[in-house]
Parts: sequence; C-alpha cells; structure tokens
Amino acid sequence: MPTLIVNGRSFSVDAEPETPLLWALREHLGLTGTKFGCGAGLCGACTVHLDGEAVFACQTPIEAADGRAVTTIEGLSNTGDHPVQRAWVQEQVPQCGYCQSGQIMRAAALLAANPRPTREEIIDAMSSNLCRCGTYPRIIRAVERAAGEV
Amino acid sequence: MSGTTHPSRRGFLGSAIGFAVLAGGGLQVLRDAALAQPTSRAVNAWVTLSSDGEVVIRFASAEMGQGVNTSLPMILAEEMDADWSRVRVEQLDQGPVATFGNPNTGGILFTAGSSSVEGYFAIMRRAGAHARRILIHSAAQAWRVRPGEVTTEPGVILHRASGRRMEFGAVAALPQIVTDVPPVSDADLKPRSAWRLIGTNPDRRDIPGKTRGGTVYSIDVRVPNMLYAALALPPVEGERPVRVSDTRALAVPGVARVIRMPHAVAVLAERWEAATAARDALDVEWTTSSPFRSADTEKDLAETASAARDLNRPGVPWEARGNAPDAIAAGARVIEAEYRTEPTYHAQMEPLAAIASVDPDGRGAEVWLGTQSQTVSIAAAAQALETTPDRIRFHAMQMGGGFGRRTFFARDILRDALLLSREMRRPVKVMWTREDDIRNGWFRPATAHHLQAVLSPEGRVTALRHRVASPSVLAFAAPQRWAAANNRDILVMEGTESTDYAIPDFLAEHVILERRARVSAWRGIGWGPNLYAREAFIDELAEAAGSDPVSIRRQLLASSPRGLAVLDTVVAMSDFGRPPPRRAHGISFAGYKATLGAGVAEVSLNTDTGEIRVHRFWAAVDSGIAIHPKNLEAQAEGGIIFGLSGLLKERITISGGEVQQANFHDYEPMRIHEIPEVRIRIIESGAPPSGAGEIGVPMTGAAVANAVHALTGKRLRQMPFTPDRVKQALST
Ligand code: FES
Ligand code: FES
Repeated sequence: MPTLIVNGRSFSVDAEPETPLLWALREHLGLTGTKFGCGAGLCGACTVHLDGEAVFACQTPIEAADGRAVTTIEGLSNTGDHPVQRAWVQEQVPQCGYCQSGQIMRAAALLAANPRPTREEIIDAMSSNLCRCGTYPRIIRAVERAAGEV
Repeated sequence: MSGTTHPSRRGFLGSAIGFAVLAGGGLQVLRDAALAQPTSRAVNAWVTLSSDGEVVIRFASAEMGQGVNTSLPMILAEEMDADWSRVRVEQLDQGPVATFGNPNTGGILFTAGSSSVEGYFAIMRRAGAHARRILIHSAAQAWRVRPGEVTTEPGVILHRASGRRMEFGAVAALPQIVTDVPPVSDADLKPRSAWRLIGTNPDRRDIPGKTRGGTVYSIDVRVPNMLYAALALPPVEGERPVRVSDTRALAVPGVARVIRMPHAVAVLAERWEAATAARDALDVEWTTSSPFRSADTEKDLAETASAARDLNRPGVPWEARGNAPDAIAAGARVIEAEYRTEPTYHAQMEPLAAIASVDPDGRGAEVWLGTQSQTVSIAAAAQALETTPDRIRFHAMQMGGGFGRRTFFARDILRDALLLSREMRRPVKVMWTREDDIRNGWFRPATAHHLQAVLSPEGRVTALRHRVASPSVLAFAAPQRWAAANNRDILVMEGTESTDYAIPDFLAEHVILERRARVSAWRGIGWGPNLYAREAFIDELAEAAGSDPVSIRRQLLASSPRGLAVLDTVVAMSDFGRPPPRRAHGISFAGYKATLGAGVAEVSLNTDTGEIRVHRFWAAVDSGIAIHPKNLEAQAEGGIIFGLSGLLKERITISGGEVQQANFHDYEPMRIHEIPEVRIRIIESGAPPSGAGEIGVPMTGAAVANAVHALTGKRLRQMPFTPDRVKQALST
C-alpha cells in the first residue's frame, strides 16, 4: 500500500499503485483544491508539487509519489499567505477560479526554482496551464509581483 | 420571503475541509469552534443582520466567474448604507421567483445574457433602501423619536439632534424591529452624487477562497456513503444500448453495479477510478439507427451556406425597417458577401458533475449542481422524480465556468444523478470526463451569413439585408420557450438588428435549418457570429465606397452618441491605422444588448505557416454605470481572450454523427503565450448598467479579419481563421 506524504502528513492509501495521484488526493484524502480538468496532462488544473517540482497529478501514479513529498494548494501555506497567493489576491486574478489552484502551484514552483524570472520565462512556465476565463494577463502581473518575494 | 442559501453545505463538507485546514495548520478550525453564536435577524428577503455587526446580503444570480458575488451585494449595500467591510455575501440556492427572479431572464433565477447587474440593479437598490428604512424605523422606535429625524452613515444609525448612535448590528438585538415601513419608491433612492460604494473596486469576495483551494465546485462535493457514476454514452446522439456485456466491468474491485439506462450505461462504484476503469471495460453494442448518423459538419455547412444564399428560401424576419429587399432589387450598386462560422465548444474548465441524494420515498432529493438557473434545475429535478419542486433541496454550486454550457443544459446529468441515486438508494455523483464533455457537448452551431447592401452614389449604405442560416438554438435548448417564440430565435439572431446604425432599409432574417448536433448559446451568443459577419462586411462596403473603416462607421453611427464615443475612443487608444512595420490594424464596432463596444486588433501573419499573431487588442466599452470598474475590465478582457481563442483556434467537426475532438490536444483553447496585450477603457455614459461578461467576444472576429485584410488584401470569410484556412485565402 503506497504511503503518501501530503502537506507534511503521512497517509497510506488503499488504492492500486497505478491510481493517479489526482484521485488519491481528491477522493481518498478529500483534498479537492486540486482540480480535474482533462486527465491527460493537457490543462494543468491538477498541478501539485512533488519534492518541490510542479507535476500533473493526473499523470502521476501514486506509486511514483510513494515516500516523496507532495504539496497541494491546501498545504502551500498555512493561512493562504504564500507570496504567490498574496499576489493573486492583490491582482484579483481568479474569475471562476477552477484553474487557479493549478496556476498558483505552477507559479510557486517556478519562483522557487527561479526567483527572478523574465516575462518570457513566466509565460513559458505558465503555458502548460489553461484558463478558459481569460485571466492570463493578470496571472502574468501576479507572478511578476510575487517574484523576488519568495 | 423565504429562500435558502449555502450554510447547510458546511455540515457535510466539514470533514473534508477540516482535514484540509488541519493539514495546513488548524487555525481556521480553532477559530470556528471558538465563535459564540450571535443573534441574527432577517430584515427583508435579501438582508440578515447579526448582532455582531455582520450584514449578510444575498444575491440571486449564480456565480460562474463573473463576480456577481461582489457587484450585486455592492448595489444593495450602497442603498442600505452598510459598512462594506462588515458585509458577508451569500448566493441563493433557491427561493420564490416573485421575490428573487431576474426580470431580464424571464423572471426566474437564471443567469445568462450578461443580465445580472442589468436585471437586478433596480431590485437590489430598492431592497437596500427598504432594509435601511427598517433600520431607521426600528431605531426611531427604540429611541422614541420620529423616523424622519433619523439618518444613517455606513454601518451606523444616527439621531443627530440627540447625538444618539446605533450600530447596524445592535438592531438585530433590539426586542422588536419595525418591518411595517412605507414602501420605497425610486424617489427615495440615493442620488448618484451620494454613492460611496458603487464605482469603487473593493476586492472580490470569492477570491481568497479561490487562491486556497477552498472554493467548492459541484465536482468537489462529497456526501457520506456516496457512489460515483461514470457513464458510457452513445457514440452518436440518439443511439441506445442494445446489448451490454458487463462481466469484465463488474470484476473491477469496488464496482457496485452496472445499470442500463435508455440513453446510456452507468457504472456505479465506490471510487471514481473504479467507475471509469469499469466503464472502459464495458462492451456495449449501440443501435445504429439515429438520424444524426449522417451529420457531417463539412457537408452540412455547405448546405447551410447555400440556404443562406438561396433567396427563394423564406427566412423568418427578425428585424425589418423600411423595405430592404425592394431597395436591393432597385439598387444601382449592390454589394454582396458571404461569411461562415463553424461549431465551437464551451471548454469550461470544470467538466459537468451532479450529485443527488434521493429520499427513501423516492419523491424528494437533495441536489448539488453548478447551474446557471436554480429555478430550471429544480423544476428539472422535480420532473425527473415526478414530484413537486418543494421536495427538492437544492445547492447551487460555484461553477467552474459557464459560458452558456450550464444554462438550461445541466438537466441531463442532473436527471441521471437523480435516477441512479433513487435506484441505488444511496447518494450518487455523476461525473463526465473531458472526453464525455466534448463528445456530448452542446455546441454553438455553424452559421452562414449572406449579406447584401446598397451603396448610394455618395457612398452611403442605404440598405442592408443580413440572412443567417442555422438551426434554431432555442428550439433545442428551451423547447417551451420556443413554442411561444413565433420562430424568432433570440439565441441565434440577436445582434443582427443593427439598431445603432442608421440604415433606412434594413432586414435581418433567419433561415431555420434542421439541427444536426446538440446546440446551445456560447459566450457572446448570436452576437459573436453575427457581428463578425456584419462588421467584416462593413469593411468591404468601406472599400467599395472608397471610404475607410472608421469614416464609414462614424457615418453609420451618426445618430448614436454612445456608439460614436466607443468608436472614437478605441481609434484614439490604438492610434488606429498606424501600426508598427509588418503589422496591421482592424476595427470592429460591437454591441451586446444595451452594452456598446469597439475593438481594434493589431496583427501580423506568418505567410509560410498561415499563422495569425494578435499582438495587441484595444477595446472601449460602455456598459452604462460601472458598479465595479475593475471587475468590468476583467470581464471585458476575459471576453476578448475567449473570442480570440474561438476565432483563431476552435472548431468542432462531426463526421458520421461522431464528434471528432476528444480533449484539449485537439480542441485547445488559447494558452498564455498566445494572448495579445489587452487594453480596455471603460466609458461611463451614465446609462443604466448593462452587462460586460460577453461584450468582449463579438468585437473580436471582424477586428482580426479586417486587420488581416489590411495586411494582405484577403478577406477571411470563415471562422475559425486556422493556419490552413489563412493559407488558402492567401493563395486565392
Ligand atoms: S487534469 Fe491533469 S493536466 Fe488536466
Ligand atoms: S479562472 Fe476560470 S478557468 Fe481560470
């Protein structure tokens, strides 16, 4: 039975090893902040961190996450005050909000690896995440705002 | 007066959220537990006061990203003189339409057509003024003074003569409040000069939750003892399962049952992964007799175009002024053109999901659904269970995008959840995968536009005829409304009427064709396709008349000061017609109901690949009084990106009745690296507020097509302007 370390806590998940991490998080652990958009690695709605790197939870079998640190939107900060989350509020990014957990996790991973990205690097990193509401201009502004604060 | 909002949701979500928050530190849980229960008191149908000073304001539109959770309560808070920092907002789950219905959407709880602020503006103002009056009368009674001597400041009731003050919250603790107050008339409402809140930009109330993963969408709902249902849906609309072998499916651990429904085969399981794995293991043989088997978007569009062109085919008049056909027959100089659009899919980021928990007697249920209409969904649920609406306990969930996908249409998945829950005697969540959502989508239908105009010797447009050929969207989406509509399809034809343009002889008509796919409204509704065709045609007329895109529109808008204002503004913003090297500008005027806008696209083109790049997009928007200008800007911006995405990239094709696209690899909305820089200017004309959620879409099509013409001399006559099609246009 794979053991998941999610937001600093350990769980053993009673599921087949090839079960996507997305469903383990959402259905087994009740962490529904991580969203299902395509199930195919195409939209980024399910983006979480695995040992600090952004991955598609829908493309990550739980066996691949066994014993590694998973961070979801719920665990990104204690009170929603990660610099990226703060910037998201300051720039008033979300509309429907459905894509935004994934966007925030992607942006947080980018800034962790590259605290001062260029605009091009921001756009390049964020291009794996779709937003149908068209919040992209504000996403770019929010990542620029958060840059340097992480 | 009754009506229900969300609090009940807390109970069943408690465990999930409790865990989530504990994992993140446990602060929220502790704070909740420490809260003592303050007294609360309903002031009227919309407002509840709490003795701790909190003012709860309800709103009846459904939130799908457009920000009604903030803009609508702001209107009420303004008139009530509530302290915005003490306001909590609550979306209405259900309630009597006489109190809560939107007069602009048939008087029911229904969120569509950018009509929330437009329809509720007067209602929320009066409700706020009414609540304020109750506070004043209640305080006056407590103080034993005349109500006329009592006034308010944000959050406080004042009696200036005696210096007495009472916080709004204190009214909740009074032994008695006075609800029998004189009715509020428009004359009692604040003059605009006294507004403190409307026109400002407080943070949207929903945004903190949406940055923490805390907002609950229907797809997130979990109810104790719930089963997950995945559906095997027919490859072609209208087919039915004739033979099902489910041995392999039933062998998947966790599968509870396989149920054959008239239109689908459902797999119910303890886990979603099991439900989908078992669904994929099903072997279903479907009927092959559906008339939709012959649907073929390419062939069908050719027929649609010939129907538009064939003037012997009668059209249903949508708008007539003067006599366009006669004027065209007699016209010395008649210009004709044709434009087409292909079907598009909503691609809302949250796939459809519905949760139902049917009562033991099978005649009532608790339901969780993201829907643009609480009223229609409750009625649909009651119908599915052959019961009455009062037996449906409804939760209208935050939607992960709507765009027209959840207007009337969430009813099929809702019905399935109800029937399966009744059958299983357990709560059931039905979910669609992205593939289900696309293959069973309700698309904006293909349209063909045949346009004719008469140019006078001075180059004026004296007659215009706009024939639209397409199936009726209303007939499919809302059959009851269609029955009373006299063949006038508002969801296809609106926008063609061109009332801002002074054209003496005018006719817009609809050649109604048989439906070949499931069809629906799509952000921008008919305005998108109709204005693409008309505004691209106007540029052709400008060229034929020896005029230019701006002059001809200024002439047409001569009697529309608001129209001229948006046009002139966007021309100035963009420095229209003076693009950087190797780029070109295209302009489009646009309306969306009472909202007016104009847009300019700056494009370049890779002639080798046929790829259009939109570098910058400017828009001027007049949607009347701007309640929350920054949110309005966000809506217009989102609409422009949505429109550009559709016109550059999006196309549904159907062959042999089967939708050819399956997921975001072959139906890919615009990504962040493809967007232009967008600049919006809001023009405050002082007109009553109208919507902004869709105005961005209709201005995009012609702006880009006209820019490509300015760059290449070629007209793009079919949307989307995909690279292959652009190359084809370049080679003609
Ligand atoms: S759900 Fe994982 S990338 Fe779309
Ligand atoms: S905010 Fe709606 S999809 Fe991004």
